[in-house]
Amino acid sequence: MTEQDSARIDVSRYGNVPNVSEAGAALPPRQDRLNERFLNGVRQWWPYYAMMAPGLLFFVIWHYVPIWEAKMAFEQVRIIPPNIWVGWKNFQTLFSSPIFYQVLANTLIISGMKIIFVFPVPIMVALLLNEIRSGKLRGAIQSAVYLPHFLSWVVISGVFIALLSPTDGAVNQIGQAMGFTPVNYMTNTGTIRWVLVVSEIWRSAGWDSLLYLAAIFAIDPQLYDAAEMDGANRWQKIWYVTIPGIVPTIATLFILNMGMFLSADLNQVINMQNAVNASTIDIIDTYVYRLGLSTGEYALATAAGLFKAVIGMILVLVSHLVSKRLTGKGVW
Amino acid sequence: MAMHTRRTPLERIEYIIIVSTLLLLVVFTLQPLLNLLALSLSAPENVAGFSGLSILPDGFSPDVWMLLLQHPNVQRGIFNSVWMTTTSVVIGVFFTALMAWGMSRPGLPGRRIIFILVLVTIVFEPGIIPDYFLMKRLGLLNTPWSVIMYKAISAWYLIILIRFFEEIPKELLEAAELDGANPFQTFFMVVLPLAKPALATIALFYFVLHWNEFFRAMIYLTDQSKWPLQVVLRQFVIEGDKVAIVGANNVNNNLGLAQINIRALKAGMILITIVPILAIYPLILKFFTKGTMSGAVKG
Repeated sequence: MTEQDSARIDVSRYGNVPNVSEAGAALPPRQDRLNERFLNGVRQWWPYYAMMAPGLLFFVIWHYVPIWEAKMAFEQVRIIPPNIWVGWKNFQTLFSSPIFYQVLANTLIISGMKIIFVFPVPIMVALLLNEIRSGKLRGAIQSAVYLPHFLSWVVISGVFIALLSPTDGAVNQIGQAMGFTPVNYMTNTGTIRWVLVVSEIWRSAGWDSLLYLAAIFAIDPQLYDAAEMDGANRWQKIWYVTIPGIVPTIATLFILNMGMFLSADLNQVINMQNAVNASTIDIIDTYVYRLGLSTGEYALATAAGLFKAVIGMILVLVSHLVSKRLTGKGVW
Repeated sequence: MAMHTRRTPLERIEYIIIVSTLLLLVVFTLQPLLNLLALSLSAPENVAGFSGLSILPDGFSPDVWMLLLQHPNVQRGIFNSVWMTTTSVVIGVFFTALMAWGMSRPGLPGRRIIFILVLVTIVFEPGIIPDYFLMKRLGLLNTPWSVIMYKAISAWYLIILIRFFEEIPKELLEAAELDGANPFQTFFMVVLPLAKPALATIALFYFVLHWNEFFRAMIYLTDQSKWPLQVVLRQFVIEGDKVAIVGANNVNNNLGLAQINIRALKAGMILITIVPILAIYPLILKFFTKGTMSGAVKG
């Protein structure tokens, strides 16, 4: 490549300056011009397409081919291909099975419990953290409570199984000291959903407070000074300045959480599930997994998965739009 | 500031309550982990009565850690996890950067369509069964590549990198091209060195993502020798498959070691799995926090 060449490419790429030949006196026929524009485009952009090719290929194979594979939900799977197209039959089977409604109800209950009991905790943590004056102390507390966010659910489940052990777990030892009889929280259908809630708090309360803390830091300090002039105490400042300041963030995250309503966290449930508690915490995801990969009901499992995916997509899109409309913030 | 220094007794009490509440949260977060650490380091004869509340080892013995680190299943798990995670991170960072670079060029024809195609994958996931059949069709079932490739490129991290590349000053790129660099040279010699902090951030994100992956490994890898550490941990601790770690002989004969230490062994196993996370925790904290904060401000 000569210097002149590279200079020319440079100009056309960043300036979008019409080509020298196009700007010339006699314009060639329209088709020729289009062809030339196309060739110029290819010449100019092919290196970028080449660089993007592996990534694009990846997205097509691992995200778009499965969408095509999901047509299985409308088929009867046969050992010897091809499968037979059966339309909505699998969905009808699904919607007429009581187990499906059981897992749907479980999913909704667990998600609802998480919205009510997990969602407010990070807000409170952020409000408390903001009151800590010493930056060092705050930093130390933050680095401790952020940690569980980076642990896998396998690890967290292991930790909770130990923590809740009826014989030597910390929770039951405290309970016994206070005169309660030990409870096996992991194998108790009444408590297992609370285990999901508490372990979710353990994992996310600290880390999720970060977003609210960022919102608090963005509040104009003059507002606090003004409140102080008016004689506001700590709680009045929190109530009249901080909370109104982070309401948009709270609203956004709440709406986005609603968008994830059907995703009651497969990874969490699958590690906390056992033969005894399964009925109360069997969610759509674990149902799909069991139905498909253990029982071999591929078509039915795909239909259940697709049901979740479509409803989930609608919820996310709607919550994104609502959040954008109300607060100017969305998922992307 | 001067106003803060004059505090009434009531305010002091309030402050103490606030700090105590947060410290209680710290205890709630760290005690379970410290308890497991203490348990795994206690002398074997003291494990039986070891309290779930204690955070100090009762006596001291590295036996549990030695035993686990010498155990073939654990060693294989560590080996598999390390190489699978490393490969995933390298592949992820490299191809995410390449794709993000292309997508960050303002004039690229089709840029918007590609962007939408990427966003769609965030919103719509057809589910695990279609994924499973895809792996089967590709002949990747029971190979580590099924786990490595399925989320080789994360749409989220791709978007983060695109935003970063868009902010590289035009002048630098133009200067490179005036010097006769082609787009590839520009990418490798100008863009990548400039993007080091962003690439490090993405690399850490991918590291945590892949190190913690267990579900895909669990359903795709039937061969136990290919399992990453998380699946080995799951089999032993969650499913309570003692034979996996302690050995059939020990379990059947109720051998003393197996009986006494099973709790300590589980504790040690959990902790071995989080050692890499803890080792780079300061880095993780720095990059993740910065990433989250900037994301929050930008919206």
